[in-house]
Amino acid sequence: MWAYVVRRLWQMIPTMLGVVLLVFILFNLFGGDPAYVLAGKISNPDQIDNIRRQLGVDQPYYIQLGIFLKQIVTGNFGASWSTNEPVSHILATRLGPSMTVLVPLLIIETIVAVGLALAVAYVRGSLTDRAVMIVCTVGLSISILVYIIVFQYVFAYKLGWFPVQGWGDSFWENLVRYASLPILIGLVVSIAPNLRLYRTFVLDEINQDYVRTARAKGVSENRIMWVHVLRNASIPIITHVMAALPGLLIGAFLLERFFSIPGIGREVILAVERSDFPVIKALTVYVAVATMAVNLLADLMYKAVDPRVQLK
Amino acid sequence: MPTVAPLPGGIVTRAIELVLLVACLLCAPVQAAEPKKVIRDVFPVAETGFDPAAMHDLYSAGVIRAVFEALYTYDYLARPAKLVPLVAAAMPEIAEDGRVYTVRLRPGIFFQPDRVFGDKPRELVADDVVYSVKRLADPKLRAPYGFLVEGKFAGLDELAAAAKKTGKFDYDRKIAGIEAVDRHTVRFRLNEPDFNLTYVLSHEATSIVAREVIDKYAESDGRAMSHPVGTGPFKLGQWIRSNKIVLDANPDYRGFVWDFAPVQPGDEKLVAQMKGKRMPAVDRVEIFVQEEDQTRWLAFQQGELDFMNMEGPLAPNAIGTDGNIKPELAAKGVRLDRYVEPEIRYVYWNWLDPRVGGMGKAQIALRRALAMSFDASEEVRVILNGQAVALEYPIPPGVVGHEPQWKSTVRYDPALANKLLDHFGYKRGTDGWRTWPDGSPMVIKYAARPDTQNRQLEELAKKSYDAIGVRMESQRDRFPELLKLEKACKLFSREAAWVADYPDGDNFMQLFYGPNTYQSNNGCVSIPEYDALYKQSVRMPAGPERDKLFRKMARLLEYYAPQRLTVARYRNQLVQPRIEGYRRHPILASTWQYVDVAPASN
Amino acid sequence: MSSAPDVIAARPAARTAPLRREIPHTVSPGLWTLAWRRLRRDRLAMVSLAIVAAFIVLMILSGLGAVAKDWAQEVGVNYAPPSFMGPDAVPEAPSGQPRVDVSDAAAVAAPADDTGVVDPIGDVIAALKGSGPAAGATSSGAASDAPGFVDPLADVMKEIEGARRPPAAAGDAAKSVDPLADVMKDIEAGKGKAAAADTRRATLPFGADKWGRDVIAKTIKGSETSIFVGLAAAFVATLIGTVLGALAGYYGRWVDDALNWFYSIFSSIPYLLLILAVAAVLQHKGTMTIVLILGLTGWTGVFRLIRAEYLKHKSREYVQAADAIGASNARRMFKHIFPNISHVVLVQLSILVVAFIKSEVILSFLGFGVPVDVVSWGSMLNEAQNELLLGKWWQLAAAGGTMAVLVTAFSLFTDALRDALDPKLKGGKGH
Repeated sequence: MWAYVVRRLWQMIPTMLGVVLLVFILFNLFGGDPAYVLAGKISNPDQIDNIRRQLGVDQPYYIQLGIFLKQIVTGNFGASWSTNEPVSHILATRLGPSMTVLVPLLIIETIVAVGLALAVAYVRGSLTDRAVMIVCTVGLSISILVYIIVFQYVFAYKLGWFPVQGWGDSFWENLVRYASLPILIGLVVSIAPNLRLYRTFVLDEINQDYVRTARAKGVSENRIMWVHVLRNASIPIITHVMAALPGLLIGAFLLERFFSIPGIGREVILAVERSDFPVIKALTVYVAVATMAVNLLADLMYKAVDPRVQLK
Repeated sequence: MPTVAPLPGGIVTRAIELVLLVACLLCAPVQAAEPKKVIRDVFPVAETGFDPAAMHDLYSAGVIRAVFEALYTYDYLARPAKLVPLVAAAMPEIAEDGRVYTVRLRPGIFFQPDRVFGDKPRELVADDVVYSVKRLADPKLRAPYGFLVEGKFAGLDELAAAAKKTGKFDYDRKIAGIEAVDRHTVRFRLNEPDFNLTYVLSHEATSIVAREVIDKYAESDGRAMSHPVGTGPFKLGQWIRSNKIVLDANPDYRGFVWDFAPVQPGDEKLVAQMKGKRMPAVDRVEIFVQEEDQTRWLAFQQGELDFMNMEGPLAPNAIGTDGNIKPELAAKGVRLDRYVEPEIRYVYWNWLDPRVGGMGKAQIALRRALAMSFDASEEVRVILNGQAVALEYPIPPGVVGHEPQWKSTVRYDPALANKLLDHFGYKRGTDGWRTWPDGSPMVIKYAARPDTQNRQLEELAKKSYDAIGVRMESQRDRFPELLKLEKACKLFSREAAWVADYPDGDNFMQLFYGPNTYQSNNGCVSIPEYDALYKQSVRMPAGPERDKLFRKMARLLEYYAPQRLTVARYRNQLVQPRIEGYRRHPILASTWQYVDVAPASN
Repeated sequence: MSSAPDVIAARPAARTAPLRREIPHTVSPGLWTLAWRRLRRDRLAMVSLAIVAAFIVLMILSGLGAVAKDWAQEVGVNYAPPSFMGPDAVPEAPSGQPRVDVSDAAAVAAPADDTGVVDPIGDVIAALKGSGPAAGATSSGAASDAPGFVDPLADVMKEIEGARRPPAAAGDAAKSVDPLADVMKDIEAGKGKAAAADTRRATLPFGADKWGRDVIAKTIKGSETSIFVGLAAAFVATLIGTVLGALAGYYGRWVDDALNWFYSIFSSIPYLLLILAVAAVLQHKGTMTIVLILGLTGWTGVFRLIRAEYLKHKSREYVQAADAIGASNARRMFKHIFPNISHVVLVQLSILVVAFIKSEVILSFLGFGVPVDVVSWGSMLNEAQNELLLGKWWQLAAAGGTMAVLVTAFSLFTDALRDALDPKLKGGKGH
């Protein structure tokens, strides 16, 4: 077990190097030149040179890469080029709001989707099953952009059920008052695909021999569904939910933009618009590390839930 | 098989909605404890930071204007904008034909207390002014508004050059160009006569900072973006970057009495409401950052915002075809403050490109034809929903040197454009598209940023060029890339925009001055006759003589057509009825210190 | 990988469980026949298939120029409402400013021109203006003496009165006959504002956009682009994923390690950043760029599944039999194994089509959309974003609705296809 964890951690190093290299190539070689934007309305070549020197982008690529590697090892990514805000501070302050929206969203969505999945799988093939699946499919074929525009207009403005936008200082105020409409939109968008997916997981299990055996032994249908099937279907479901976790770090930029949520997603778009490489590179590295860690965790959990799984 | 009725998705979501709704109602009273007078404004673009010398964008400028003070400012109501002393005791004494400026400071102006000062107020003195202006030249700071001081003050450029070598700007070295004569007198000595220096001394970038503050709070590059300490009416309270900025009234601010003379229609009401009041009257300014038009507008209507600039895309919601506020908003007491922004937009064609640029007659004809194909009124009407004026003169309304009666010789006339092209040998090929005189296919590249409004500009350009048989290719790229190409004179054509730094015609005429190529002359124009006239004009104070030169220069720009003037947008500032005394100023980036909240609404 | 990030721009991951225990299925040669038979019985699937087919036919017709060829023509007035609503009672011609063009130039007296600046091509302009129906034809007539076209060269010293000058002086230059006078006339008739204004319709079957272009034609043209982007990008992604997955799964060892390394790099970088970065690298050249952006970033899910399939199949007897008769590696990979996993590929392909059609909308929002002479659902939705608040809902409805219909049909068909190819999944009609 521990040997496995150590080996997996060891294997992360080449992947990490690959990520670093790819990010470096994409942004340092092909990304925009920030100097001109930072120079303001009137600039002359002299000032541009000066800015490039101050930012260190006039250095040879291998030195820039070296600096980047050093930053990763020390965990100090410097400061944003346009605002001077330390990257660590950006992460520390923007993560909370993103999580305030996405964590409840993930939890509610999983509970609802799993519950519905069990229900429709139970009546698989029936008219209800098909109707729910069609509604889901229609639901997920509408662009999230349309949902946001229409929901904000109808629920926040016309009906006044929610504030149009905003963000406060207290966690509860944010969660209940400001995050509820974004969460609702998130639910509408993400329940449909997940319900469809979880339904197939449940169906997979329903067809297994153990279900037939249990049924033959006279176990009640409810018990079969909620205990046997759910326990086994939970493995792919957990894997799936875990895979969604690193995405939380990046936030939901559309929701954040439209509802004035000071989260990471908005910061990412801002950083790309400003060619703010320190911020972009740091975020990429952090999320990559998180993704790998979560993947490892998922495999370990998988093992814990199902002892038959061989970790190799 | 037993059947369990599954829950339709709708019920569950509605149940959740209901729960959230109830929770909403429960938490509503939480937000009762707020300070007395709060006003709420919105920025459509995120701020960057609040160090005057590092100031980069208009929105940060608004905050800087509220926290710091420069030597001069503008009268709140006077139009066209008029300079008045702020930290200075009076207008500068100008000697030696505009080469020497002497400014006396008002004694008894104090920085807000800060730890650096031992939490006591600290007086603003001449040395602070010298330090603050010098900072703009410090290479380490890479000041975006460094051009305001570059080449102007005797000895400053040498100091900057030395700093580039040594890596350290020597603030202690005395230079003749900027010196503190005594505790409350500053003298500026200029390399060339310049009658616009007072404008520079009123710019947000020359706001006065204290050296101790910068030394203590500066980040590694010498800029103190997050800890502004000024002498102004507000101080930075809470700051959630790129989301919310809270400014609290500075309790140690000396204050002023509201006393401005009415100029425009409607000003009398303002004066009646406000005259004699002790300012600033509001306790707190909350500024939200919101990029989406829809959100800003819905929030304003919901009363979540007190101010909002109604831009083109949504303007028909609030502004009628006559340019007045819609009756349903007016009935609610919402007011509209509308004026033409001191800006110009223009489509240029790269002067350095041998096929479209330069002084050759064929090239001039081509540019003239391209200019004639373009209907600025359509840009106004369709893209900007009527929220702009088509420009005739390169100096926009509200700026010294503007000619309201001027009619440009460049008019929308695709038929004539077609003939002109035919005449100069830009023949139509078999496919209907025109060719270069050498027979190769003609393509005009048009660059634009990748956003919705720019896409519409592209659509208009394409339509215009189609009508004269010129094939247009769009070159879409992110703004940094476009800028990079533009500053290297490698962009073929683009609609550029210029917003006044100060309300003087020179700020616009310099855009087409040959030696400003690679700097602010985006189209890289170089017309010898124009350049000669411009050089003459900078040595003159504003007045009819200079206006005459400007008119000649404007005509030259029409005839040689290095660019086509398009539009200047309206600013449509909407204001909620609870706000009193509000007037948007065309140059001042913020005016929160001049307004009050109506008593009934609190 | 679909729950929360779906809210972002979901990485189009394999919708099948990544770690799902594979149901061993012995694939008989009759798989496709059987599947088709099952599919035929599924009425919903057939309806969906018909809708998808109709869209694809529409896409081809539109691509060939048979329909919606003139989508860019401004056939209606700006924001012409749908016919069933009737024309706007108050024609919304937002202005606040008088329109400035040739016509009103005459109305305002020009100031005395004291500039004395010489027009370098003034003579030509004057000559051209004199000939043919030129300037006046495009305006409402009064413009023939537009002061704008002062000709300083022809009459340098008198340019001041040029403001009131009738083009008489220039008239003698009329002998420079315009060789394209006929063409000009046509152009003026077709494109001149005055002429066009008369022919523009007040309403259109489903309204017009900002410029007065028919929303229906635009939607059809947009469907063409969006479906093409979806199909082509899905093809690119599936191709990359399948080839790499096959290589990794079949060869194993260092090939597998290397490709897995490559895969883990791509799947570790946040999807949004990956898209933005690749978009930045590829620049914005045209529709193919979008295909590449989506294709190059969206292959990871396919890779993972196909690799697993190849791992499973390579030790099967039939592959070993192929080995025994001396089939080459490539032959075994693609001739023998591929047909047995092709249903997985097909399902992945159609899942990706749906995902990419939706991603195109988000790309447009981020400014990486189609070029200006192309229209897509994404570009329409973005344009329509603010129109809803202006009460001009039809473009949003047309683009959003059409997209929903296609995507729904495509998804339902994909489901049915998967069920038909893998009947165990469907679950019998009660036990």
